[in-house]
Amino acid sequence: MGQIRLQRVTKRFENGFEALSEVTTEFEAGSMTFLTGHSGAGKSTFLKLLIRADTPTRGQILVNDVDIGGLSAARLPLYRRHIGVVFQDHHLLAARTVFDNVAMPLRVAGMREREVARRVRASLTTVELLGKEGLLPSHLSTGEQQRIGIARAVVTRPRILLADEPTGNLDPDLSRHIMDLFTRFNQVGTTVIVASHEIDLIETMGKRILHLEGGRVVSDRAGDSSTESPAQSDPTESVEVGS
Amino acid sequence: MVGIALALPAGLWILQVNMDEMSAQWEGRPGLSVYFTLQADNASVAAVQGYLEDQQNIDRVELTTAKDALEEFKTYSGLGSALDLLGSNPLPASLQARFAQSIGPIEVELLINETQAFAGVAEVVVEKTWLERLNELSRVVSRLGAMLAVLFGLGAVLVTASSVRLAIEARLDELRVLKLVGATPGQVRRPFLYFGAIYGFGGGVVAAMLIAITILVIEPPLQGLLGSYQQTLDLAGFGPLFLTVLLLVGSGLGILGALMAVRQRVRDLEVV
Repeated sequence: MGQIRLQRVTKRFENGFEALSEVTTEFEAGSMTFLTGHSGAGKSTFLKLLIRADTPTRGQILVNDVDIGGLSAARLPLYRRHIGVVFQDHHLLAARTVFDNVAMPLRVAGMREREVARRVRASLTTVELLGKEGLLPSHLSTGEQQRIGIARAVVTRPRILLADEPTGNLDPDLSRHIMDLFTRFNQVGTTVIVASHEIDLIETMGKRILHLEGGRVVSDRAGDSSTESPAQSDPTESVEVGS
Repeated sequence: MVGIALALPAGLWILQVNMDEMSAQWEGRPGLSVYFTLQADNASVAAVQGYLEDQQNIDRVELTTAKDALEEFKTYSGLGSALDLLGSNPLPASLQARFAQSIGPIEVELLINETQAFAGVAEVVVEKTWLERLNELSRVVSRLGAMLAVLFGLGAVLVTASSVRLAIEARLDELRVLKLVGATPGQVRRPFLYFGAIYGFGGGVVAAMLIAITILVIEPPLQGLLGSYQQTLDLAGFGPLFLTVLLLVGSGLGILGALMAVRQRVRDLEVV
């Protein structure tokens, strides 16, 4: 049984637009899936429903057998602490340093400052930006900003990592680098779902591809088993081993 | 704005406390004046004086003879030479009796009737001293202060709420990210509650300063006024306890305003 299950999920907005229609699918724990489709196909709505930024008009979304639509206001923050989210425009806070941006989820979780510092350094090492923790996001390139966004998303070592067009503003080489980072997180057992319209790049990754059109799943192609890897060590732990 | 909103009711409270204080310290109390006819002889006056002095409800009786009254009038009116032309004294003798504090309205009524019955008494007048007026004024100030405290307190809450709303709008991105990474509503609200508390505390400080300045400005002429009644001004109320309460009330109103502003906004805020 999948870690994430969508059962006949429909999302209709107040203006009558149906972003998702009767979507039924599931994602195994530790799997990696690309959501593709044209603009307006329903990719972002799909991810919004998974982070419970919105609720389905009909149907259910079960995460570890819990209907997230029924989560109370008190439990919702705890659910979100187990999910890492990366956006195309990264949502970094301009007035906060790189360190503070990445540390935010850990501080929200009430972690001690010494542990926060250790985890932030580990995350920044993973995205190859250690040494830039004192800078403001505006002092970084677009690609670096995106990697800071990823560092923030994985710093809590979430069980599920969601990304909405994470390579939208990047050149092909950087896009490949970002996708490789997601693959590394997947290889340590994180369930990764990436919404992207860069079909050429996605095709080379050899992962499951869920194609959406008009809010419906029109194709669901399994990944190439040769790209599947057994779980390795957590990349965010890379500096912790030696430190 | 919060400072001004707090300053007025707090200032009125200090005013009322001091009026009460003044009234408690004031030696003069209500009493009655007995005016005699011009024909009343000394024996009639002495009889009434004796009667009043025997009353337990009266603690002091002072006689102003017709002659004393004339001298006093000449001194204060500046009409001395004109009065000399009259040939005879137009002023009657009078008695001023001061009530003991415990006297009730029925006893006052009896006292008036009995005094009125004496021969030679023209009129008995119950003095409603300025002290009584002061007490009444104090009650008015007290009620006015309470009303203003409610109105201006509400104003302070609304002003703080408005400021917190602006602060929230300026930090929407941060709030969205906080919610996204799993901050509880309490964690999202907390900085704004601190903001409200500091804002209200600052209002309390401003209010205290405004009141202090007002006291400095009005103290010298008030000293002069009270000096003419042989009174001294010992300002009551404006002390550490008052300041502590003022700052706490300011902070409390600030938190209340912040809660009003932040509660719904944070709940309805979308994470992405």
